[in-house]
Amino acid sequence: MNLARDNSTLYNLIAASENVNFIDASNDTRYTLEQIDLPINNIELARSLIFLYTDNSLNSLVTYLNLLKTKHVLVLLSNTIETKLKENLENDYEPSIIFDDERSYIDKYEARELSNENIEIKLHINKEFKSVLDDNLRLMLSTSGTTGSPKFVKLSEENIKQNAISISDYLPIESTDVTPLNLPLHYSYGLSVLHSNAINGATIVCGLPDILSKDFWKHLNEYEFTSIAGVPFIYEMFQRIGFLKKPHPSLKYITQAGGNLSQNIKSEFNNYCIENGIEFFVMYGQTEATARISFVPPSMLEDKITSIGKPIKNGNITIDIDTDELLYSGPNVFGGYAKQKEDLATWENIEMLRTGDLAKQDEDGYFYISGRLKRIAKVFGNRVNLDEIEAFVKSNLNLSLLACTGINDKFILIAHSHKNLEEAELKKAMFGTFKIQGSAIKFHYFDTLPKTKNEKIDYKTITSIYLEK
Amino acid sequence: MSNNKILENAFTTILEIDASQINEELKYQSIPEWDSINHMFLIGEIEDVFNVEIDSDDILEVKSYNDAKNVLGRYGVDFE
Repeated sequence: MNLARDNSTLYNLIAASENVNFIDASNDTRYTLEQIDLPINNIELARSLIFLYTDNSLNSLVTYLNLLKTKHVLVLLSNTIETKLKENLENDYEPSIIFDDERSYIDKYEARELSNENIEIKLHINKEFKSVLDDNLRLMLSTSGTTGSPKFVKLSEENIKQNAISISDYLPIESTDVTPLNLPLHYSYGLSVLHSNAINGATIVCGLPDILSKDFWKHLNEYEFTSIAGVPFIYEMFQRIGFLKKPHPSLKYITQAGGNLSQNIKSEFNNYCIENGIEFFVMYGQTEATARISFVPPSMLEDKITSIGKPIKNGNITIDIDTDELLYSGPNVFGGYAKQKEDLATWENIEMLRTGDLAKQDEDGYFYISGRLKRIAKVFGNRVNLDEIEAFVKSNLNLSLLACTGINDKFILIAHSHKNLEEAELKKAMFGTFKIQGSAIKFHYFDTLPKTKNEKIDYKTITSIYLEK
Repeated sequence: MSNNKILENAFTTILEIDASQINEELKYQSIPEWDSINHMFLIGEIEDVFNVEIDSDDILEVKSYNDAKNVLGRYGVDFE
């Protein structure tokens, strides 16, 4: 498909795709883009900041798509964030409009309904709140999931459009496809599934129950899903609930991103896909690159099973000669972070995204992740800042001799020197604040925490002692 | 320990909740702690403590505390 590279917006591309339509699986109703079109311009408001607390319901999707038509700056957030944390974010950023079906009333905001003959959405508006917004700023996403962190990745119209175009270049998306929105919209990978399918005129299925419901699998057969997207933990679930034991004849391809999937599970899926004529795309990316950076062509996966592949179209990967850090450049590189309202007024032109991942390249040009530069762990597809966790545990629970590290992107290890550490209490606090499940937290007692020559915590030694125990 | 108590412990250990939160109403996704990720850990814990291997199809059947008992019943774990 020849997608315009002119100054048309992502929404223009979606509207120009002929067949794009949406199924609400919760009541088995199908809508065209026109049928979900709302008189959004009736809200007279200069370009403003808008918070959308979304799930994968039709209402969330409709609200997002209608706002994508406007020039406003959209912030996508999970609707499962605790109300207190939502209020903190709103105090920090003062959005002019809030979409949140979890709250019927929001203090200082006036509710306004928008409807057509098919649908009705509710927005909360405060026209007094004004923001200074850089011209490039279009969309903001969090990297931390549901913790309500005020740090956002700033993305432009060009970022989201170009990434959707690059993704359509390698994924075999066609207008006859039926694609489930089984990942959250506020998650860059989930959003990229929507964007890349919508510009190609596919059928997009929202309002789905989660993958551990029998109904999800019933819908897969009834609607004949042609693809599924998943982070490593979803693939582990698929494997455990018997996905590989059954045929799924409607599937054309499946994609995996959001961290490293264990090699044995990846191989099992690859073998299943080869036997069943399904293409298996293993991909790599970051929210700072709008979503996608690289992918492994399915035909190469068996040979390059641990690789993150090669860069997407219009993207370029290099490796820093001094540090081995993976550097990415392309039209999907973000414009810096926002940590407070004032940051919305600026846009950084970042030539080279420093991913924080360490990489190697083989003789065929394929890239491999070999480690991590920053103190970051990925747990269940979400990025976790280990220094932040360490600081939280130290201050809130008043524990000093303690260090946190990530082990193989599987769990977080809390190394400590407290003989009577209240593990259950600590796990509860970690779930409450960071939404990290207790089963993903391990403890290890040290008489003295290993230190480096410079008296800094020696995380490498902690990790190897733990793994060898 | 009774099987009831063992199952209760599996829930409180994995979901990090108090035993008082366990009742007939406790369902998958009815509390934030019982999400899809903890569901899989919960199944693993139940398999460990009752020494059973839960069939893949049965995992989707465990949608409440009561369901867990019913499913375990098929594996010869008695809750009377």
